[in-house]
Amino acid sequence: MTQAPHELDVRPILRAGGEPFTAIMDAVKGLGSGQALRLLATFEPVPLYGVLAKKGFDHAAREVGGGDWEVLFTPTSAAVAAQGRPGKPGGENAATPGWPEPLRHLDNRDLEPPEPLVRTLAAVEELQPGEVLSALLCREPVFLLPKLRERGHEWQGAFEEDGKTYKLLVRKGTGKEAAA
Amino acid sequence: MIGVSLSRWTMSYFTIALVALLGAEMLMVAGFGFPSQSIVAPQTLVLVHLIAIGWLSLLISGALLQFVPVLVAKSLAYSELPIVALAFLVAGLAGLLVGFLALAGFSVGSIPWLTLGAICLTVGFVLNIWNLGRTLWSARPIGLPAHFVAAGLLSLVGVITLGTIFSFALGGWTTNPVLMRLTAQGIPLHAALGLGGWLTFTAMGVTYRLLAMFMLSPEAEHRTSQIALVAGAAAILVVLIGGPVCLLILGQGLTHPLLVALVLAIVSLSLYGHDIVRLYRTRKRRKIELNARMAAWALGSLGLGSLLLLVLTALGEIDRFVGAIVFLFAFGWLTGLGLAKLYKIVAFLTWLECYGELLGRRPTPRVQDLVDERRAKLWFWLYFASVGAASIAAFLGAPLAFRVAAFGMLVATVKICVELVSARTLRLVPPTLLPQGDRARPGLLRPSLQHSRR
Repeated sequence: MTQAPHELDVRPILRAGGEPFTAIMDAVKGLGSGQALRLLATFEPVPLYGVLAKKGFDHAAREVGGGDWEVLFTPTSAAVAAQGRPGKPGGENAATPGWPEPLRHLDNRDLEPPEPLVRTLAAVEELQPGEVLSALLCREPVFLLPKLRERGHEWQGAFEEDGKTYKLLVRKGTGKEAAA
Repeated sequence: MIGVSLSRWTMSYFTIALVALLGAEMLMVAGFGFPSQSIVAPQTLVLVHLIAIGWLSLLISGALLQFVPVLVAKSLAYSELPIVALAFLVAGLAGLLVGFLALAGFSVGSIPWLTLGAICLTVGFVLNIWNLGRTLWSARPIGLPAHFVAAGLLSLVGVITLGTIFSFALGGWTTNPVLMRLTAQGIPLHAALGLGGWLTFTAMGVTYRLLAMFMLSPEAEHRTSQIALVAGAAAILVVLIGGPVCLLILGQGLTHPLLVALVLAIVSLSLYGHDIVRLYRTRKRRKIELNARMAAWALGSLGLGSLLLLVLTALGEIDRFVGAIVFLFAFGWLTGLGLAKLYKIVAFLTWLECYGELLGRRPTPRVQDLVDERRAKLWFWLYFASVGAASIAAFLGAPLAFRVAAFGMLVATVKICVELVSARTLRLVPPTLLPQGDRARPGLLRPSLQHSRR
C-alpha cells in the first residue's frame, strides 16, 4: 500500500531569506518507496521540476492563494520503462522521462549575450522533430525560453547543484508554431 | 509565463528621455539656470526637474520596465500600464515646468500648473512603482540587484510624496504648519532621496547585473555587495524617516540625519566601487565593448563625486559647492552611464525585435553590426571631456566657461543620439540582411512590435 505523501513546508525558510534546496533534497532522500512529496513554497519552484524529474518524479502544481504554491511530486516507477516514448506535451512542464538522449551538447557558458540565444536556436533548427539537444548556460536564458515556446519546441531547464550552470534540454517540436 | 518578452514601451520612454536631455543641455548653453543663475532660482528648478524627471527618471523607468523582468525571470505584471504612466509623467512634467516658470515671473495664466503637474507625476510614478513592485513581489525570493531596485523604488515613493507636499504648499493649497515647515526645510531630503536613493541606488543595482552580463564576469553574491545593499538601504531609511522625524517631531534641523545618511552612503558606495573593480578585473572577456569602457568613466565620476562630497562636507564647504557636485553626479555619473548603456541596450532590443523570429532560420546580423563603435567613441570622448570641463567651471563659478563646455556636451549628445537612431533604424545593416515586412522599420516612439505574452 502506498504511503501518504510526505509534507515539506519551505515557506518559513524562504521568508527568512534562506535556501531550501538542501532541505528538499534531504526530504526526497527520506521518502519511502513510491511515496510522494507535497511541497509548499512562496513561489512556483520551476527549477526544481527538472532536478526532481531526473530523479524520476512527476509534478502537479497549483497556486494555493497569497502567491503560495503547493506542488505534489509523485515518483514515476514506469519512468525507466518509458524510455523512448514521446514526452508529455506542454512546453515547460515536459519531463525528461520519455525523451531520447540529447544528440548535441552545447557549452554556451563563456559566450557573451546574445550568442547563447543565437547558437541554441540555430542548433535546434538543425534537429529533426522529436530530437533533443542539451545546452549549458551561465544564467537562466530568459529571452530564449519564450522563443522556444513560440517555435513549438519543448524544453526543460534548471540550475545544476553548483547554482552557477543552467542546464537546458530542448526537444524539437513538429514544426507547428505555438499560437501567439 | 516563464521567460521574458520585450517591454513594448521602453523605447518610447528612451526617446522622450533623450529629447528632455537635449532640451536641458540647450538651456544650459543658453545660460538658463545654475550656474549662470542662482541655485535657488526658479529657472534652476526648471532645469533640475527637466533633467531629473524628463531625462533621468524616464530613462531609468524605461530601463526598469525591461530590466526588472530580466532580473527576476518573470514577465512584467501589467504590460500595457507603462504607456498610461508615461502619458501622466509627460503631462505632469510639462505642468511642473510651467508652474516653475510662473514662479520665475513668466505669465502662464491662472491655472495651478505646479499642483496639477505634481499630481500627474505622482499618478505616473505610482503606476510604474505598482507595476514593478508587483513584478518583484511575485518573484520572491529576489536576488541582490533586484533588492537594490526595490530600495530605489521605496526612495522614489519618498521623493514624490515630498514633491507633492511642496507643490501644494507653494501653490497655496495648504497652510498646515507641519507641511509648510517640511516645504521650507525639506528640500535636501527631496534631493537626497531623488538623486541618491532613486537614481543612484537603482543604477548601482542594475550595473551589478549588466556589467557582469556583458563582460562575462562571475556573478556570485559577495558579502561586500550585501553590506553595500544594507548600508545604502539604511541611508535611504534614515533620510526617509529620520529626516521628517528630526524636523517635525524633535524640532531639530536636518544636519544629523543627513550626516548619518552620508556616512552610510559612503560605506555603500565604497563597497560598491570595490565590487565593480572586481567585476572588471575578473571578466572573462578581455576586449570589452564601448559601453563597458565608457561606463568606467561614469563610475569614475561617481567615485570622484563621492570623494568631493565627503571632503567638502568635512571642510564645512558643502553649501558653496553643492550645485557643482550635483552636476558631476547628474552628468558624469548618471548621464554618462545612461548614454553608455543606451548605446548597448537600444541595439540589443532592436536586434531582438527585428531578428528574434529569424534566428537560426536565415542569416542575421550580429548585435554589433547595428553600431559603429569607432565613430561613436569620438562622441563619448567629447561628452566626458566636456562634462569634466563643465564640472571644473561650475566648481570655479565660471558661468561663461560652463556654457562653452555645455555646448560640447550638447554636440556630443546630439551625435550619440544620431548613433542611437542609426542603430534603431538598422541603417548600418547590409540590405541583404534587412528583415522584411512589419519588422523592417522599428519605430522610435511607437511600441515594440513583439507583444508581451503572458
